[in-house]
Amino acid sequence: MASDKISVSGFRHFFPTEDGPVQATGTIDLAIREGEFVTLVGPSGCGKTTLLKAIAGFIAPSEGTILCDGKPVKGPGRERGVVFQELAILPWRTVRRNIAHGLEIAGASKAVRESTVARLVDLMGLAGFEDRYPHELSGGMRQRVAVARTWAADPEIILMDEPFAAVDAMTRLTLQEELGRLCATTGKTVFFITHSVDEAVFLADRVLVMTKRPGTIKAVLEVPRHGSGGRDWDSFTADPEMRNISEQVMHLVHAERGAR
Amino acid sequence: MMAARAFRELRILIPFAAAIALWWGIKDGIGVSNTLLASPAQVWTAFVYLATHGVLAEYAATSLQMIGVAAAISFALGVPLGFAVGTNRYAARALEGTLRFLQGISGIAWLPLAILWCGFTHTTTLIVVIYTLIVPIVFNTMTGVRAIPENYVLALRSLGASRLRIVVDVYFPGALPSIVVGLRLGMGYGWRALIAAEMLVRQGGLGDLIFGARTFNQIDRIMVGMIAIGILYIVVDRLLVQPIESMTLARWGVLRR
Repeated sequence: MASDKISVSGFRHFFPTEDGPVQATGTIDLAIREGEFVTLVGPSGCGKTTLLKAIAGFIAPSEGTILCDGKPVKGPGRERGVVFQELAILPWRTVRRNIAHGLEIAGASKAVRESTVARLVDLMGLAGFEDRYPHELSGGMRQRVAVARTWAADPEIILMDEPFAAVDAMTRLTLQEELGRLCATTGKTVFFITHSVDEAVFLADRVLVMTKRPGTIKAVLEVPRHGSGGRDWDSFTADPEMRNISEQVMHLVHAERGAR
Repeated sequence: MMAARAFRELRILIPFAAAIALWWGIKDGIGVSNTLLASPAQVWTAFVYLATHGVLAEYAATSLQMIGVAAAISFALGVPLGFAVGTNRYAARALEGTLRFLQGISGIAWLPLAILWCGFTHTTTLIVVIYTLIVPIVFNTMTGVRAIPENYVLALRSLGASRLRIVVDVYFPGALPSIVVGLRLGMGYGWRALIAAEMLVRQGGLGDLIFGARTFNQIDRIMVGMIAIGILYIVVDRLLVQPIESMTLARWGVLRR
């Protein structure tokens, strides 16, 4: 398993509270290959964000080990970028300076910063908004900036925690297609958390389904790709194979909701 | 347009005009003795005398210099202290009680001890004013830092930012509106503490001026000094502190959503 980009084994997490520790997740084992897009879908409160935070290095697991490229995760690092649900780009920086932030921290030259910003602004449809502040943008535009900022820093692994959950439904469809294209052209390893079944299947090479709290992974479904480039919603919804996978995932997720 | 604007600016003077009229009415209408109250005309004469002889300027300059030095030192010490406390949950919890306790002991209550330590000097006055000024700065910096969404910090850490970088790029700009509010509050408290300390320390400043005038029953001079204290505070607040506040809020006001 040395070729795994991310490898989680025997992971379990507890949060300390005044009434003693509360179990956030069950035992989780997971491996993600290089260049793979893995989505994790599960009911709210099942511990998906806890798992993502542990991979990001924001929290130290109570039990088990997390390896990236075979090396144990000891804290956050620039090889693992994170896109949050909301409230993570800085309101006092323009779009341009938010996107270039990672490069600025890495000490990249002005020329490199400018060309990277120009490329991502173009890819994410942000042209003309470079010098705006986040409060002047719609929610969808802000999430495009957040995605662009993470990609600009060029991490090997990208962790996404329900990045489109706070965006309106129409914009979300566009953002999902854009993300699919972006990943197809850049070949990043992505771990993406969501509670939307359609989103999970649409984006993934592989979908993991989690049980309710304390969550464990109850099923893994491969989602085959036909042709290169990202998927688009028109052909996705017309494809019976995709519909079939979505229905399977829906049943698995629904069983968890019914059990509550 | 211009006239309407000028009128709006002048409107704030109406209550002052009313107060002066009332004061004049009490003084001349009831005939209050000169040992209790000076008339506006007498105060004006005293003002002209003190102003043209450079007395007022000298005492006012001392007070302004003291508040300026105290504000600079309090800012330089208070902001880093506020960051240190605000970014550490345990320190914040532990120190919150202490800060409130210290808020209860006014700066003036430190004056006896400060005089014993440093004598009747500017240092003593500075100790009292800095003490008064620094508490709201530390407190507001701490509150500002703690109100910054955790995701800002986490996102920067996963972009490879060092601790110093996070302070410069996240904590400072994020807490700035709150820091400025603390500075403004501190300047208000500090100005009052300064005048009080000057009355006891007697090394110049407007507090010294009005307390010295008391010795010779110069009621007109006392009142000139009091009015100067009020006006200078407005000038410092409106021309210095408020512009900084609106500048930061205008750009980052949306921060708190």
